[in-house]
Amino acid sequence: MTITEEPRTDSGEGDGPSALDRARRSTIGSSIFRSPRRVTPRDRAAGHWSSFLLHIYPVKIRRRELSFRYSWYLGVISTVLLGSLVASGVYLMFFYVPSPANAYTNIQTIQTEVPFGQYVRNVHRWSAHLMVLAVAAHMARVFYRGAYKAPREFNWVIGVVLLLLTLLMSFTGYLLPWDQLAFWAVTVGTEMAGYVPFAGEQVKEILLGGPTVDSNTLLRFYVLHVAVLPTLIIFTLMIHLWRWRKDAMFDQKVEDGDD
Amino acid sequence: MTDQTAPTGLEHQPVTTDGKRVLGIVPGSPAAGERKVIDRDDTVMVWPHLLVRHAVAAMCALLTVMVIAVLFDAPLGSVANPQVTPNPEKAPWYFAALQELLAILHPLVAGVLVPGTIVIGLIALPYVDRSRFFKPRHRKVAVATFTTFLVVWIVLTLIGFMFRGPNWGWVWPWEEWHGVL
Repeated sequence: MTITEEPRTDSGEGDGPSALDRARRSTIGSSIFRSPRRVTPRDRAAGHWSSFLLHIYPVKIRRRELSFRYSWYLGVISTVLLGSLVASGVYLMFFYVPSPANAYTNIQTIQTEVPFGQYVRNVHRWSAHLMVLAVAAHMARVFYRGAYKAPREFNWVIGVVLLLLTLLMSFTGYLLPWDQLAFWAVTVGTEMAGYVPFAGEQVKEILLGGPTVDSNTLLRFYVLHVAVLPTLIIFTLMIHLWRWRKDAMFDQKVEDGDD
Repeated sequence: MTDQTAPTGLEHQPVTTDGKRVLGIVPGSPAAGERKVIDRDDTVMVWPHLLVRHAVAAMCALLTVMVIAVLFDAPLGSVANPQVTPNPEKAPWYFAALQELLAILHPLVAGVLVPGTIVIGLIALPYVDRSRFFKPRHRKVAVATFTTFLVVWIVLTLIGFMFRGPNWGWVWPWEEWHGVL
């Protein structure tokens, strides 16, 4: 026949509601799920719309945006890596004191004595590098797709901010192990700030909390790394995702189709 | 009805085909419309179509991290010592291109002008490129400019990360390795 999408019944097979659907419609279930009926597409849209966890997604999306080659899923991958960084980072925070006297030995303790310490530190380190790569690749993919075009211009700008925040997150975290690698990489990195015209030295001093990398710098970078920048990046990411959801159905007025 | 010829007497006789009775055939186009051609601009429900794909992408990303974390330990050098400057001094890899530029150009250009221009250029991009063409072959100027910058940046990053040794001199990474992650 000619109908391609027929309204689904609860179970999809027509032999009565499934256990999950019965649970959804029970007294407790219907107190949790606002739209427990899932018979018509409209019901399912209502169920999606009223779910907190799903509200970061649009209800519907264009078919072309499903495919791997549309986005390479780099946005999701970046977000997932951020989640991995938060989870592993919080664990590491339990065993780390940001002072030159403690930092390095804390890292050694994490690697040798803390349960799964070495593994969690590895996850944190490699997730951070991968996130820089994923965010940069996401930006390149969005460029080649032309996805930054109206009405999505401002979300591209927010994306640029997210790239910069990601770099800052990674850079401030780089100092925390307080080894030679960290110390001199941050010394070199912040020297660049000294080249800012007129206010170079002041900018550098604000960053470092002094003329050189010392205990003030470590504390400053730690606070930026675990409190200020994560808050900023998560807040900015929320705006980024909100705009993505709102723009999902806007017509981009494509004149030449897309590949 | 297009065919108004004489009755055959079969109209009221149910026909049995493949074990099923066909009660009648309605001529003309089907009430539900013609078979729909699936278009890439059609919409689908995010659950399950997009969410299952995202779940798979998320699991692949996490699996990659887990495998790398099991196989390779994060580096840890000796304790920080402000008196001992390593040679070469290397910035993190994502600043390697800037560090390489600093070795070539005037610090004001490499340290301020170039990064500032890149950030402003990226922010300005969607406001400068207002065409409604999306295929890369219809956006030759934008694509060529972006690709040039991207390639130059990747090359500079690789040079700064792998091909620079003591005193920022040229080394071959397969002879001396100075990259740190």
